[in-house]
Parts: sequence; C-alpha cells; structure tokens
Amino acid sequence: MGFSVPYGAAELAGQLLVGLSRSMILFIVCAGLSFVLGVLRVPNIAHGSLYMIGAFATFSLSKFFAGSSAFWIALILAPLLVVFLSLIAERALFCHLYQREHLMLLLFTFALSLILGDLVKIVWGAEYRSVAAPAMLKGSISLLGSSFPRYNLFLIFAGLLVAVALWLFVNKTKFGKISRAAAVDRDMVGMLGINVSWVFAAAFVMGCYLAGLGGALVAPTVSITLGMDHTLIIEAFLIVTIGGLGNMWGALVGSLIFGVTHSLGVLVLPQFAIIFPYAAVVIVLLLRPKGLLKSVW
Amino acid sequence: MLQVEGVVKSFDDFKAVSGANLVVGQGEIVAVIGPNGAGKTTLFNLITGQLRRDSGKILFKGEDISGLTPYEICRRGVGRSFQIVNIFPRLTVFGNVQVAVLSQQRRSYNLFRPAQNIAVEKTQSLLESVGLWDKGKNVAGSLSHGDQKILEIAIALGNEPQLLILDEPTAGMSPEETSATMGLIQHLAHTRGLTILFCEHDMEIVFSIAQSIMVMHQGRTLIQEKPEEVRANKEVQEAYLGEE
Amino acid sequence: MIHSKPLGWALAFFIILLILPSIVPRFFVYILALIFVTSLLAMSLNLLVGHGGMFQFHHAVFYGVGAYTLALMVTKTSLPIWVGFVAGPLMAAMAGLIIGWFCVRLTQLYFGMLQISLGSLVWAVVFRWYSFTGGDDGIHGIRMPPFLSSLTSSYYFILIILVISLILLYLILKSPFGNTLQAIRDNPDRCAAVGIHVRRHQLTAILIATFFAGMAGVLFVVLEHSVFPDLLFWVLSLEIFIMCLLGGWFTFGGPILGAAITVSLRTFVGKYTEYWTMILGIILILLIFFLPEGVMGYFQGIFKPRAKEGAQRRM
Repeated sequence: MGFSVPYGAAELAGQLLVGLSRSMILFIVCAGLSFVLGVLRVPNIAHGSLYMIGAFATFSLSKFFAGSSAFWIALILAPLLVVFLSLIAERALFCHLYQREHLMLLLFTFALSLILGDLVKIVWGAEYRSVAAPAMLKGSISLLGSSFPRYNLFLIFAGLLVAVALWLFVNKTKFGKISRAAAVDRDMVGMLGINVSWVFAAAFVMGCYLAGLGGALVAPTVSITLGMDHTLIIEAFLIVTIGGLGNMWGALVGSLIFGVTHSLGVLVLPQFAIIFPYAAVVIVLLLRPKGLLKSVW
Repeated sequence: MLQVEGVVKSFDDFKAVSGANLVVGQGEIVAVIGPNGAGKTTLFNLITGQLRRDSGKILFKGEDISGLTPYEICRRGVGRSFQIVNIFPRLTVFGNVQVAVLSQQRRSYNLFRPAQNIAVEKTQSLLESVGLWDKGKNVAGSLSHGDQKILEIAIALGNEPQLLILDEPTAGMSPEETSATMGLIQHLAHTRGLTILFCEHDMEIVFSIAQSIMVMHQGRTLIQEKPEEVRANKEVQEAYLGEE
Repeated sequence: MIHSKPLGWALAFFIILLILPSIVPRFFVYILALIFVTSLLAMSLNLLVGHGGMFQFHHAVFYGVGAYTLALMVTKTSLPIWVGFVAGPLMAAMAGLIIGWFCVRLTQLYFGMLQISLGSLVWAVVFRWYSFTGGDDGIHGIRMPPFLSSLTSSYYFILIILVISLILLYLILKSPFGNTLQAIRDNPDRCAAVGIHVRRHQLTAILIATFFAGMAGVLFVVLEHSVFPDLLFWVLSLEIFIMCLLGGWFTFGGPILGAAITVSLRTFVGKYTEYWTMILGIILILLIFFLPEGVMGYFQGIFKPRAKEGAQRRM
C-alpha cells in the first residue's frame, strides 16, 4: 500500500501549513454553511454548488479583466455574483418554503444544487480550468526550513481575517444579534416586530457570500472542475456536524481537524489520505454525537 | 402507590418546580390543582420521565423511578394522557389504541401476521368502554377535539396501567362532554381498580370526584388534603384570589 | 385480508409483465428490469422514511454494499453464486446494523447527517481501494451463471425477487411491527409513554430496510454485470429520496411509481439532452411546491378525502 518513508520535521511543518491553509478555505465555506444552518435550521446542499460557481466565476473574471489586478477584482466580484444568484433563488422560491417542514427546505436546496451544477456545465463546459495566483503572491518563501507557497500564507491570513470579521459581525452588530436570536427562537423574534423573512434572506445571502468567497480564494490552488461541489458539500457537512450544528466556531474547529488530519494522511498514507479526516470525523461523532461545540439550538 | 418528596426542577434560572410533595394511595382518585404556571404539567412530566428532576424523590410502588425513561416507567404500570392532544393523527382510532395494546402484549415486533387480526377483542372492548367503538375506522386526526381527548385516555388504558395520570383530561371540552368524561373516569377507576392522578382547572369536577387534593402554587406544594379541608384552607384561598 | 380489487389489478399487471419480454424490444426489457431494481431500492428506503419517519439520508450505501459484496464474491472467490446472492443482503443488513446503531442514538437531522458522514467514509474506502474494489473504475464483466446470462432470464429473475420482496414488505407494513413503526413516525414521544422501545424498533426497521437495499444491489449486478462507486454516492441516496417523494411516501406503492417515472424520464430525457440533473432538480422543485404528497398521494387525496383530513401533520 505504500507507507511513506519517515519524514523530517521540515516536511511535517510544510505539510501542516498546507493543511492549515486548506482548513482556512474550509472554515470560510463552512462558517457560511453553519450560519445558514443555525438561523434557518437547514443544511444548504447548494452551498457546494455556490462554492463551485465562485471558483468558475473567478476564472472567467480574471480572464476578462486581464492584467495584474485581475485576480483581486475577481475576488471581489465573484462572491457578489454568487450573492446575486442566491438572492434570486431565495426571493423567487426559497422564501415561500419557510413555513414548511425542514425536510422540504433541505430537498429544495438539493434541487437547487442539481440545477446550479448543470448550469455550470452549460456555461463553462466540462473542461478543467485553472486560475493563476496574482503576481504578488506567486512563488514561495522559506519558512521553518521548508519552502511554503506565498498564496497559502495569504489564505491563512485571509481565513483569520474572516474569522475576526465574523466574530465582530455576530457579536457586535445588530443584525448579528438578531440572527442569533432568530436561531434560537424565531417566533419570539417575529413577535418583536422584526420581519423574520428578511432575517432569513439576509442570513442565507451572507452564507452564500462566504461560499462564493471560499470558491474564489481556492481557485488558484486547485483545478477547477465539475464535481467540486459534491466533494466540498460532503466535507462541509461533516465539518459542520462535528463542530456542532450552527456553531461557527465549531466550523473553525472542525475545519482545522479536517485539514490537519488530511495533511497527516498525505504524509503517512498518500493513497488513502482522504480516509484520515473521515475517520477523525467518525471518532469525534462516536465520542460526541452532537458535535464538539454546543449546537446553536 | 406513588410518593413524590421534595422534587425540584429548574430550567436554567427558572424554577418550575421548587418543592413538590404528593402521596397517592392505591385505588384513590387524587387531583392536583393550582393556578396556571404552578408547575402541574412539569410535575407530571417529572413523574412519567419526560423530564429529569434536579433533586427530590419519586417513588412508585416503593421503587425510585426518578432516573428512568418514559418507556421504562410505562412498563412498570404508569399510564399517561397529555394536556396537548398527543395521538397518532395518521392512524385510525382503532390503530391508535391498538398500538398501546400491542405494546402491552409485547407483540410490537411481530413481523408477518396482519395486525388487523391481532388483539382485536381487547382493542375493541377498550374502545367500547370509552364510547368510541363506532368511530374505530376513522382517521384519528379527523376526530373532534373532545373525542381526541377521550382517545388519549383510551391509548393510556391500552397498557393496563395501575396508575393512570391524566393531564387536564377535559380541557377544551363542552360541559356535557366534560361531565361524561369525568363519569367515565370514575367508572373506569371502579371497574378496573385504577389509581387515578389528574389535574384540572374545573373546580366543580375536582371537588366532586377527587378523594384527595394537592394544591400547587408557584412550583411548591401548599397542602394535600381531603376536599373539604382544602376548600376551607386560607393559604389556598389567597393563592387563587391573589392571582385573579 | 387483502382487498380483492387491487389484488386483481396487481395480478393482471404481473401477467402483463411476464409476457412483455416476448413482445417488446430488448431495450424496453432492460429499462423495465432497471425499474424493478430501482423500485425495490426505493421501497426499502420508504419503509424508513415514509412509514418510519426517519431521516435515512444515505441509503445508497447499503445498496452499494450489497452490490459490491456479490461482485467481489464472484470475482475474487470461487464460491457458488448463491452464496453471493445471500451474502449481499446480509452484508448490507450488517452495515445497516452498525451504522444504524450509531445513528439511532440521535434524532432527525443529526441522524441524517451522521449517516451521511459514516456512509461517506464507506464510499471513500471503496473509491480509493483500487486493488480490492477497483477504485473509481469499479468492477466490470462480472460473470453470471448460465441460467442468468441472458437479458430475458435476468428480467424474470429480478421480477420474481421483486414480487417476493414486495409481498414481504407488504406483510411487514401491515403487521404489528409495521403499525408500531408508523406510530413511532407520528409521535415517538407518545410511543415511549406507551411502553415502546423506540430505538430498538427503529433499529429493527433499519435492519429490514438495508437488507432489501442489499437485495436490490445484488439484482443490479445481475442486470448490469458491473459495479462502481457511484452506487454508494450520496447523490444517489437523495435521488431515491426524490423517488419516494415523487411517488408518494405515505402510500405503499408510491416509491415504485416514483422509481418508474424517474428511470423512464432519465432514459427518455437523456436522449435529447445531457442535462438530466437539471431537469431532475426542476421536477423536485415542482414537487415540493405543488405535489408534496407525491403523485399517488395526490390521487389518494381525491378519492379518499377522509384520509387527507388526517394528514394535518408533517409536510
């Protein structure tokens, strides 16, 4: 099966840092998923498709704008495109389902993911795409004895930035407080005179923004393909489950576990690297079936 | 038969029950009364296992049942009807009661014989005894509210309990339905030797059929006495009048 | 007591199905056989979802386990095929027991998501273990014994197994166990208060359902002579869910109808466009908005208004 030869500290550090940057992408995406899950109590299956659209859109946008700041423009615009799409879906269809059983909402998001998945196929076709990292982030620097891609460092930084922004948002803004309240008791919030439907819409859109942002950020590091949505949504679901449904910090913890175990897997058993995070998930769930951190509800 | 001593239950900071005491002797009909929010339903939920008490003792036939699950408590002979109608809306009336009977007869794992043919007599006689046998084929969700409450009782009876706990059995019923139901409950107690614990808001009923009344107020037990003594008690009067 | 009128129709239909292979083109025989296999899979899921109220979100895993068990037994061992036929559903049921035991400790959404997690782990193993399971290529050219080597004989074999399974499932649903299961669906707390060990019943239901799912997997191999990891993929799990919804998950035969419609549509639509997935998504949305009781549920509602009144709960 091929165990790797024993690795040195430098390789370990390098791999862990890669794992960390991967965790950050997962965190950004999963935070969005968790947020929507917390407020609407529905796991948005279309989240993966939106992530994928974010990546493909980044590809097209950076090709369109060409030039040194192409990527940065794409980074701003791609998530906005995703927001636009999700807003249409929400206002036209999704919002009419808020009174229905959760299962129906879940199935709706599944339907949306099917449609969006094929939409990507129609617009971009089935070929692999790739996006180049922006000029200032190309190449690598030497860190802890290992050469570490600049872009991955940027990802870690971006992830932390998003984490801080989210913390400020949820704890310090009015909307953040309202959405936390709505997660716990939507009827109560409604009785306070707040339009719960708008709260849901805003929460949904914010979650989708994060999905698009994650897709845009990941674009230079992977080959952009159909099927990205499927792989991602499974991982996102697992992370959100072990983190605690609806808990954004749980998403952070879960993403870290996922990313780091995956890196360890790559070092130890490359062919089955993906098993490591899955096994970690299983272990966590056996010990704490409801997730590591408290679920929002 | 049932002894509750000093039971306390809080939800975060809110003390729903802060010292409840209750004694129910075999064959008795005991009522729990108190203003809304006094903690009656919470107390019932603690007794039948839907909630876990923080402290205090709950003894059924001498055995401590405070840590058991509803399933285990039921198996020991406690039946329960719920304040908010808690039936199986998609099943027929017959099916509703049959579920309890099948469970009682330990036949719920039976895989291959048609359920229609099993425990038919027992289920039918139960339906007859509560006056619902002509509605046996109706879907339970389509019954009138009063009938659904009676169905609640029938389901609880399906387990052949020794202690039957009824949470506001006549809530939402018309006066005729109410007296019919209470007559039914008394009849069942006599013919089946049931011990009955119930809670109600309708004082006429309570004072007419209960042999012992426990009064709750803000989560505490005020007193438990025979009806005449409760009626005359000053504290009880204050509690009720104070709430008006 | 089985009502005589539907039984009469079912019998007539069965006879038609028996005659069909000799009159219709090969391709239709193949599609029908595929519908049979998918129907069994959908019916097994509906035992849990429609009648048991459980969030069995990754049922396809057990289908795949059944299929792969047979495939591996045929290609890696020289045991007679009957061993494989029996081992398939049994392995699936065992997987169901293991995964189910963990999931049943949780309710609803947690149940579903835990199952997706555990199921995905199984999928990942099958997908990556190239040397044993063929990885993402799968296993092809699985040899069937001579009596099953032609399409027509496969068709009949699958049909017989399907009918037997349907009879068994019908009996189970009408049995005390089936009644109890539906009661658990409607009101698990009340069941507990009535002395029913909810978890144990749910686990038993899972055992039965996964057994039949494994059976469907075995039948798939009989028809297609191959297996691939997609059989265990979560998208398939949700597709089966849709079939149950489409047909009507509170009815007995709804999933069969759902499977038939889905497979037929997929085949038919697939000729004109490669965007079947999108069409499926649109159909699902239409279902959610306009036909939440499914096709069969909708018709039942027209003919049996009293039953519809009772359907105030759920969906």
